[in-house]
Amino acid sequence: MSDDLAIVLTAGLVATAAGLLGPFLVLRRVALMSDAVSHAVLPGIVAVYLLFGTRAPLPVIAGAACFAVLCVLGIDALRSTRLVASDAAIALVFPALFALGVLGVTEFASGAHLDLDATIYGEIAFAPFDTLTFGAVEVARSIVLLGAVVLANALLVALLWKELKATTFDPEFARTVGISPALLSRLLLVAVAVTAVAAFESVGAILVVTLLIVPAATAHLLCDRLPAMVVATLAIGWLSAIAGHAAALEADASIAGAMGLVAACCFALALLLSPRRGLLARALQRRRRRRAVRAALSAD
Amino acid sequence: MGRLIDLLPLNYSDAVVAIGAALLGIAAGALGVFAVLRQRSLVGDALAHAALPGVCVAFLATGAKDAATLLVGAACAGLVGALLMVAIERTGRVRPDAAIGVVLSSFFSLGIVLLTHIASTNDADQAGLDTYLFGQAAGLLERDLTVMAVLALVALAVVALAFRPLKTTLFDPSFAGAAGLPVRALEVFMTMLLIVAVVIGLRTVGAILMVAMLVVPAVAARQLCDRLALLIPLAAAIGAAVGVAGALIAARAEVPTGPVIVLVGVAVVAVAVLLAPGRGVLWRGRKLLRDRRRALVEGVLVELETTNDAGPPPTARELALASGRRRREVGRALASLDRAGMLARDGERLRLSAAGAAAARAALERRDLWSAWLEHGWRLDLPDAREPDPTDLRASLGDERADALRRLAAAGGGAAR
Repeated sequence: MSDDLAIVLTAGLVATAAGLLGPFLVLRRVALMSDAVSHAVLPGIVAVYLLFGTRAPLPVIAGAACFAVLCVLGIDALRSTRLVASDAAIALVFPALFALGVLGVTEFASGAHLDLDATIYGEIAFAPFDTLTFGAVEVARSIVLLGAVVLANALLVALLWKELKATTFDPEFARTVGISPALLSRLLLVAVAVTAVAAFESVGAILVVTLLIVPAATAHLLCDRLPAMVVATLAIGWLSAIAGHAAALEADASIAGAMGLVAACCFALALLLSPRRGLLARALQRRRRRRAVRAALSAD
Repeated sequence: MGRLIDLLPLNYSDAVVAIGAALLGIAAGALGVFAVLRQRSLVGDALAHAALPGVCVAFLATGAKDAATLLVGAACAGLVGALLMVAIERTGRVRPDAAIGVVLSSFFSLGIVLLTHIASTNDADQAGLDTYLFGQAAGLLERDLTVMAVLALVALAVVALAFRPLKTTLFDPSFAGAAGLPVRALEVFMTMLLIVAVVIGLRTVGAILMVAMLVVPAVAARQLCDRLALLIPLAAAIGAAVGVAGALIAARAEVPTGPVIVLVGVAVVAVAVLLAPGRGVLWRGRKLLRDRRRALVEGVLVELETTNDAGPPPTARELALASGRRRREVGRALASLDRAGMLARDGERLRLSAAGAAAARAALERRDLWSAWLEHGWRLDLPDAREPDPTDLRASLGDERADALRRLAAAGGGAAR
């Protein structure tokens, strides 16, 4: 497998894993919880490294998931005191956990394959060099790991499609038919945490957030139906992966950053040009309406 | 600034860092109040992330590495980000949280692309840029302190001058609009204040942790006071204390300053939320326990009085059976009645002492007054619309009205209609 193909595949898989969850996060208005959770996984990774001296995916994912749950519970606890509004609760909990992680990295784990820059931009360019061998086929380790996460997310979304849909669009109805919106929210955020950890090495903490929020927000501007929105999100994700890789090579810059930038450009285009909700379409509509009113008035 | 540094009992570099952290705490504390009270805390996060590409563009455009130029770039990028957030929200389809997320991550992606691009093209000059990510308090210079102090002073002076319109817009935007205030402009202005705070803090705590500096002092101060005019200076003071404490601990332990300041700040918030007098979690818990206890003791007292009327004095066990309470609870209530001298024990059997009987009658009278209030209270002419204090109705209504209420109750509900 060529190196470029491996990088694009890794990036595409990150975008797929994030894109499967993104639409639900955006529609449930918890987009910023994903921001919080993906910052909060850092101390989990550091703690596992410090306690067990390993960076193997399974223990790291378990540790990170613990901290993600801790983050969500912490935010819920602060909110439930009714002394702190929910936005402030988010803004208090995740910087604290991230600060803990940063201290851990700089103090105890420096030089041990964990460094701060990598937690921010990731090391996707190194993805092809770390390989696993299956029989005669050599596959990048990140592709295997991310493939598993994509599969897990796809299973989660496919199996709980009805429940996710009900709790997203009508939590009251979901509660009456016995589906707990809070439980599904937790589940979704744990999936976000697992995705964030798996993607952490390739794209870093903050770009996971980009891929979780931006393609889904773009799709939300373009589509009215949930299945179409999920498909559009995935398409935008892959487009960002492919175009981002090309752009990064051109500019000699971070591949992950370029992916995020392409996704942002897609959002900007959708915001301007979306056929029904774009700024342009709405401006035209307003003008047409104004003209119609004026015509009706002058006809009187 | 130099004299201040000399005055502190610290070595030069620690003193610079401590003053920088204090300035940051004052500015972020006072200005963050406007974000927290509008429930837009995370806008601060987006603005802090948006500063990164601003720093990079300023570097690319001017080739300069001095803090002032780069911070002007950061401020411009923050402003663009803030306006974009407003524009995205106004389309209606994208909700505020997604708008914040999109602006935050798009700007940050741009920042990282620019940062890595700069790193790959000219390696010698860029060394300082990525300190804007995590902050590097140790890199602060005396000149930076002057810039920070001037910025903070100007921002605070403007807040003081525009205090009334800001306060009105903050708490009641529709009233402010009706009163002829330029609400939109004032809201943008509040966001610009946040940008100033971000710019001041960027070098010390960095883009990613900046949001905590905006939120921590405001949330902690909010637990301690209810008035905006007090809240702002209190938040500034808490911010300064958190900044200095964090900077000193970090210097002592030789770890990065930004994360330590943030952790100290969050610890302060946790303490404030738990212990704040009158509203903290523990305070409320203690009050709840005390109220429950008082209700229990009063209930047992009244039950003793009523059963004493009916037959022979009950034992503790009979009392528990008759009242449907757990024996342990009854035992605890009896113990505290005993301590107050309200019980006269007769072997196993329990009687009220004279004091106890008086207390029970007072309790019964309070209860009667309360039911009278619930049934007939609407017929009283009260001096104002406030509800009287249910724990001491007689005192808060006044004797005259309380007696009137008793007469109404005695006359029966239907008579007056």
